[in-house]
Amino acid sequence: MKLTVTHTLTCPLASPSRAVEHVLLTALSTPQQRVERWSIEMPGFADAATFRDGFGNKAYLVSQTKPGDTLRVTVSGTVETIDRAGVLGRLEYDPPPAMFRRPTRQTKPDAALIDGIDPSGGRIAALHEIMGRLHEGRAAMHQSQSAGVQEQASGSAPADLAHAFIGAARALDIPARYVTGYLLDEDGAASFHAWGEAFDEGLGWIGFDALLNVCPTERHIRLAAGLDAIGTMPVRMVPASTEVPAETIEIVEG
Amino acid sequence: MLGRTAQNLFWLSRYIERAENMARLLEVGYRMSLTSQREGGASEHLVSMLRAAEVDEDFERKHEVADVANVSQFMLFDETNPSSVRSCLLAARTNARSVRTALTSDMWESLNSAWLEFASIDPRETTGSRLVELLRWVRTVSHRYRGALLSTFLRDDGYAFSQIGNFVERADNTARILDMKYYVLLPRTDLIGGDVDIQQWTLILRAASAHRSYRHVYHDRFKAWNIADYLILRPEMPRSLIFSIGWINRTLDMLEEIYGGKGAGHAAAAEVTAMLEGNSMDRIFAYGLHDFLTEFISKNNQITEAIAESYNFY
Amino acid sequence: MPGPSAFDEMTNADGSVREPYRVLEQWLKEQKPQALGLMAADAEGIFRRLGITFAVYGSNEGTEKLIPFDIIPRIISAIEWRKLSKGIEQRVRALNAFLHDIYHRQEILKAGRVPEKLILNNSAFCPEMMGLDPARGIYSHIIGVDLVRVSPDEWYVLEDNLRTPSGVSYMLEDREAMLQLAPDLFQRTKVAPVETYPENLRRTLESVAPRGASGSPTLAVLTPGIYNSAYFEHSFLADQMGAELCEGQDLFVENGKVYMRTTTGPRRVDVIYRRIDDDYLDPLTFKPDSMLGVPGLFDAYRAGNVTLVNAPGTGIADDKAVYTYVPEIIEFYLGEKALLSNVPTYNCTKPDERAYVLEHIAELVVKEVHGSGGYGMLVGPTSTREQHELFRNKIIERPDNYIVQPTLALSTCPTYVDAGIAPRHVDLRPYVLVGDQIRITPGGLTRVALKEGSLVVNSSQGGGTKDTWVLED
Repeated sequence: MKLTVTHTLTCPLASPSRAVEHVLLTALSTPQQRVERWSIEMPGFADAATFRDGFGNKAYLVSQTKPGDTLRVTVSGTVETIDRAGVLGRLEYDPPPAMFRRPTRQTKPDAALIDGIDPSGGRIAALHEIMGRLHEGRAAMHQSQSAGVQEQASGSAPADLAHAFIGAARALDIPARYVTGYLLDEDGAASFHAWGEAFDEGLGWIGFDALLNVCPTERHIRLAAGLDAIGTMPVRMVPASTEVPAETIEIVEG
Repeated sequence: MLGRTAQNLFWLSRYIERAENMARLLEVGYRMSLTSQREGGASEHLVSMLRAAEVDEDFERKHEVADVANVSQFMLFDETNPSSVRSCLLAARTNARSVRTALTSDMWESLNSAWLEFASIDPRETTGSRLVELLRWVRTVSHRYRGALLSTFLRDDGYAFSQIGNFVERADNTARILDMKYYVLLPRTDLIGGDVDIQQWTLILRAASAHRSYRHVYHDRFKAWNIADYLILRPEMPRSLIFSIGWINRTLDMLEEIYGGKGAGHAAAAEVTAMLEGNSMDRIFAYGLHDFLTEFISKNNQITEAIAESYNFY
Repeated sequence: MPGPSAFDEMTNADGSVREPYRVLEQWLKEQKPQALGLMAADAEGIFRRLGITFAVYGSNEGTEKLIPFDIIPRIISAIEWRKLSKGIEQRVRALNAFLHDIYHRQEILKAGRVPEKLILNNSAFCPEMMGLDPARGIYSHIIGVDLVRVSPDEWYVLEDNLRTPSGVSYMLEDREAMLQLAPDLFQRTKVAPVETYPENLRRTLESVAPRGASGSPTLAVLTPGIYNSAYFEHSFLADQMGAELCEGQDLFVENGKVYMRTTTGPRRVDVIYRRIDDDYLDPLTFKPDSMLGVPGLFDAYRAGNVTLVNAPGTGIADDKAVYTYVPEIIEFYLGEKALLSNVPTYNCTKPDERAYVLEHIAELVVKEVHGSGGYGMLVGPTSTREQHELFRNKIIERPDNYIVQPTLALSTCPTYVDAGIAPRHVDLRPYVLVGDQIRITPGGLTRVALKEGSLVVNSSQGGGTKDTWVLED
C-alpha cells in the first residue's frame, strides 16, 4: 500500500538565544516498508548532523540561534508498506536484542497482565495473549468511562498500551521495545502512533499493536525504536518545550 | 580566550579596585568622625560615604546609628553588602578561581593569601588603630595584586580586559566621591572657604589619596575649583577621570591591535572621552557639576555594557 | 586487627631496612630533630599558597581544606614497578576491550562468562553508547587503578577507576613540594620523573581527536565549576597541558559541532576531557535538568564531531559488582591469566556466602556497590557492635547493594605524625593514559590513613598523601 504522509509540529518556545533538538522522525526502509521519498523541513536542518543512535535509528541533531517563539517542523514522505503479519525481522543496525530486557521507569510491569502466562509454551502465543488482555482491558475501561474522560484517556492510549505491553514482555524475559510511527486507520484518520515490538529467536522482531489488537499492518509506518516513549520522542529539545506541540497529520493513499 | 575568562578578568580587577576604594572611603569617614560627631555617635560623613557607595539604604535597614562601629562592620565584613571589603575580596577570589589558568601564579597567590588572611581576621578586634591598620592593609592588597599584574602578566588580551575593568571602576569611584560632596565644590562669592569647607575639601582629596600631591601640582591652598579640576581634568593625577579614560582608550587600542578591529567599546569610550578632552572647569561648572558627574557615571557604565557585548561576556 | 602484623614498606620484621629505603633511612638519620617539623610546616605553606585545596561539600563558600601532605616519600623499586605496571597495562587493555564488546556485539554476555543482567540492567550501562565507535576504539583513556599491598610480593587491586579518576594533581604537586623541601635527597638517588604527565595527557588527548580535526586539535577541560571538590585539579591540568578550562556555559553545539565562546567568536573544539559525570553531560540526552552540561554534546559525539574523554558509560566496567569478574574478563579478551589479583569478594546474593558474611561481619569490609569516597562503607574490625548490626540489616534488606571483602592488612609506610615517625597504612593509585599508546606514570598517588590503625585512606575521611618514588635502575 502506498502512503503519503505530511506531518507538521509547532513547538512553542520561550525565545531562547539558542535551541537544540534531537529529531527522530525518519522512516527507514525495512522488510515492512520501502521508503520512496522522505524529507524533514525545519530551521537549521540543512546544517544538521545525522547519525545512527544507540538503538539503530537515524537521528538528526539540529540547532538554531535565536529561534523565536515557535519552532515548526514539517515531515513529508511516501512509503510503500507491505503487510508481513507484523514480522519486522532483523535490521542491520539493531543492537543486540538482550538490551531490550532493561526495565525503565515507564515500563514497570503489571503483575496482573502476565498472571498465568507461561512463555515456555510458546513465546509468540504468550505475546498475543498479553496484547489481547490489554485490548480487552482498554475496551472495558472505555465502556465504564464517561465521554469526557474517554477522550482524555485516548490521547495517550497508544503510549500507555505500548508501555504496558513492553513491561509485561520484559517481565517474562522477552526483549521488547517501544516503536513510534504513523497510523492510517480504517476510517481514513491519520495519527502519530506507538506500539510494541518483541523479539523472537526465530522470526526476529515482531510488532504488537494492543490498541488495535493486531500486529502492525500495511496501515502502519514505522519511524523509531527504543526502550520507551521518552527515548523515542520525535522531537526532544533543550530548552524543553513548555507546552505540547500542536500537530497536524495527513496520510493519503498513493 | 573564552568570553567568560575575559569577563572574569575584567570583574576581578574591578573588585580589587573597589575594595581599595572602599577602604579609602572608610578611612576618611573614620578620620572625619573623630573630629565632628553628631548626637548618638552618628556621623554625617559616614552617611555621605555610604551614599557615595550606594549602600546607604541597605545600611539603614540593618543599623539604626551610622557610627564608626556599625559602618566599619558593614563596609568591611557584611556578607550581604555587595560593596563590603569582604564581598569584594571574596568576589575577586571567586573570579580568580574561575580563571585560575589565565592568571600568573604571582597574581593568584596575592589574591589567595589576601583572602586567607582576611578570612582569619576577627571582626570584633578591629577598632581604633586596628581599624586603620586593617584599612591600610586592604590598600596594600590592591597594590600587591596590581604590582604582580604589571610585572608578571603577559601583555595580551587578558591584560587588556583586566586594565579596562580596573580603570572603569576607578573612574566610577572618583566620580562618585566628587558627586558625594559636589555642593562644597561649587563656585561661590566668598572666595576663602571657612573651616567647614576646608574639612570637606580635605575629605574629598583624601578619599582619592590626593591631599598631598595636590600641593605638588597647584602650589596653592585648597580651592574648590582646583580640587574639581584636579580630580576631573588633570592628566597627571592617576585617579582623575581623564587619566582613567586615557588608560581605557590606550587599552582598547591594544585590543584592537590584538583582535584586528574596533568593538562597540571604542565608541562608548569615545563618548566619555569627548566629555573630558578639551573641556574646562569653567564649562563644566556652567553645565552643572552634578549633572556632569551623573552623565559621566552613566556613560562610563556603558563602556562595560559595550565591551560585554562585543567580546562575548555572558 | 592489623597492626604489628602488617607488612611495612621500609622495615622488615627483624628490624633491617628494605633495599629501596636505604637512602631515605640514612637521610632521615642525618636530619636534626626539629628539621622534619619545620619541613612539614613549610609544606603546608607551599600547598596553601598554591591554592591546592579541595572544597568540602556543604560548607560555606570560600572554605576549603588542604589534603595533608606527608613529607616522607613512599618508595618502590624498579623491579617491583615493572611487575606492577605490566599487571596494570593488562587490566587496562582488557577493560577497554570489554567496554568495546559490551557496547557492540556483547560476545562475553553471549558466551555466558559475565551475567547478562548484571550488565544490561545495570544503571551504569549506557544504552545510548551502543554501536558507537570512539576514536581508536578507546573508551577509558584516563584511568586510576587502586592498589594495596599486603606483603613484598602481594598486591591487590581494590578498584579500577575508569570514569573520571581524580588526584593526579596531588601526585604532581607532591613531587614539586618534595623537590623544594628535600632537594638533597633527590641528589642521592635516581627517582623516575612524574612531571611528564601533563605532556603525555596532551598527547593522549590529541591522539584521539575525531577524524577531520586539524593537525593540532583544540582541547578543552570541561569542569562543573569552582564549587566542585576537584576544581583545583581541573584548572591545574588545563593549565599544565595548555587546554582551555571550560564550564558548560562556555560551550555550545551548532550544526552538529561543538564550539567554545571566545572573545573573538566561536572556536571549534575537538577533544573534551570532561570532569562532569555522565548524567550531567548533556541535558538533551541525559538528565534534562542538568545546568552543568552542554545541550547536544552527546549527539555531536555520536556524529563523530568531537571526542569525549572518558567516554560515557565506562562506569559499567568499574562497577563494584562487575569488579569480581575482571579476572574472567582478562582471560576472555586477552587469553591470559590476570597478573594482578582481585581482592576475594563475597557475593551476598548467594545464600551460603551471605550467611558467612552475616556471621563474620566484624572481620570484614562492606562496601556499597555504587558508593565512593569511603562513604557507605563498614570496616568491621574498627567498627562498633551497633555499626555491625546496622550493616547486617542493610545486607539482609538489599544483598545486591553490597560487596564484602576480607579486611586486608594494608602495608604501612613511615609517616611523620605528631609523635614523630610512625607506621601508617597506605594504598597506591597509579595513573594510566590510553591513546596512541599506553602510558603509565611511574609511581602514582600514595594515600595514607593518618589515624593510627585506620585503614581508610580517603581524603574525605582524614587521609593524606605522600610523594611516591619509583627508583630507576
